[in-house]
Amino acid sequence: MCVLCWQFLTESHWTDRRFEDNDPTTATAGSDHERTRRRDRHHRTQVLNQILTHYGLRLDDWHSRSYLLSDRKGKTAIVQDLGVLWPMAQQLTGRLLDPLDPWLLARLSHSHAGREPVV
Amino acid sequence: MNRTTTRPITIVTGFLGSGKTTLLRRLLASPEMHDTAVLVNEFGEVGLDHHLVQRLDEQTILLGHGCVCCTVRQDLVQALTTLLDRDQRGIIAPLRRIVIETTGLADPAPLVFTVVADPMLQHHFRIDSVVTTVDAVNGQGHLDRHPVSRKQVALADEIIITKTDLARPDTVATLRERLRRDNPAARMTTAILGDLDPHWLLGPQASHPTVARTTATVSPELFQRTPRPPGAPHPHGTEIRSLALTFTQPLDWIAFSVWLSMLLHAHGEAVLRVKGLLNVGATGPVVLNGVQHILHPPEHLAVWPDEDQRSHLIFILHALEPEAIKTSLQAFQHLLGAHPTVDSD
Repeated sequence: MCVLCWQFLTESHWTDRRFEDNDPTTATAGSDHERTRRRDRHHRTQVLNQILTHYGLRLDDWHSRSYLLSDRKGKTAIVQDLGVLWPMAQQLTGRLLDPLDPWLLARLSHSHAGREPVV
Repeated sequence: MNRTTTRPITIVTGFLGSGKTTLLRRLLASPEMHDTAVLVNEFGEVGLDHHLVQRLDEQTILLGHGCVCCTVRQDLVQALTTLLDRDQRGIIAPLRRIVIETTGLADPAPLVFTVVADPMLQHHFRIDSVVTTVDAVNGQGHLDRHPVSRKQVALADEIIITKTDLARPDTVATLRERLRRDNPAARMTTAILGDLDPHWLLGPQASHPTVARTTATVSPELFQRTPRPPGAPHPHGTEIRSLALTFTQPLDWIAFSVWLSMLLHAHGEAVLRVKGLLNVGATGPVVLNGVQHILHPPEHLAVWPDEDQRSHLIFILHALEPEAIKTSLQAFQHLLGAHPTVDSD
């Protein structure tokens, strides 16, 4: 579960785990579980793109198995999960992707300007 | 193999002379500990009279990126693999629990990482808790002078203040307040000469003891019990700080896990602990428990443990301002679907 040393991990990344994963009867392809997993991946891709766009990056789901991470010059990398995504994004952009970075927070606030604050 | 059949590991840590071995010696004398294996880094002056004591000769492998918490303790991998082999071949009685006693100068994070990240060990063992002993007489001095002592406290699930019979009551009270501020997510008790009911530390075992501990310790009431004394300055710089947050609205788990994974990538070494019970709009909460870059696989529970169904989140931070976490979560609120309120920092 180390976000820096991802290459040593053999199981699914913690962000991919759900309660249903503990139930072997839900693991059949095409089941509700699989649909939920695909919906989660779709939503995750959307959320990530709202962050990655500020760094000139774009993420696409690749057959619900991996993601394609690309920059505006066309450089592309295949990433398995979020354990791989952040270091790869850092490699492509040459900068640390930091959720505490005031520059990113200002960009996020600006892009959500006009929306009602969440209570 | 699911987590109910994995063997729990208790890591006993604490600064030099804080009473780790004395505590263990008393605990191991109880019949409940018969099927417990003990791994020690050094045979101290207080001998452990137990049939399953094994010594660890520290062999560490620092992984590529060089963060200390992601150090693999090869000696631990070797020792646990050997124990498992002997257990499965019937050479020893079936093992129910492992206790690891660290040296007084050890950072417990690599031990946690070794078990969580090893492709074989993670299927047979799980970290149940980190128990930290703090000497009532010298504890303040250790915490003031030795960063590793502060880290041992910050990473604890259970804190045991020892030698309280030798210290003045006001010294114990001051130490207790400091420990509570440094790690509001830990349970705390006192023990004289290791005299502690094993059940307090090791059981009775619920089906999900780690979950039970997290549930019991993320309550914001803990912060209200030990407010910072009036007029006391907020620590800055390299001090350990904690932050407790509550979210009234359900969190978007996907968005939150994106935010947290990004935070741990950028600042994992500074996030000494993260614990939480999160409402993600499901029938039960998600239990979070992390040590620096290492996050135990989050548990998605089927039901809530009590009526309070708000999300509670605790961070213990080193050289990172709690305000920065709060500001970030506020900026991410439209992605998260919830807005944080600060219980205490």
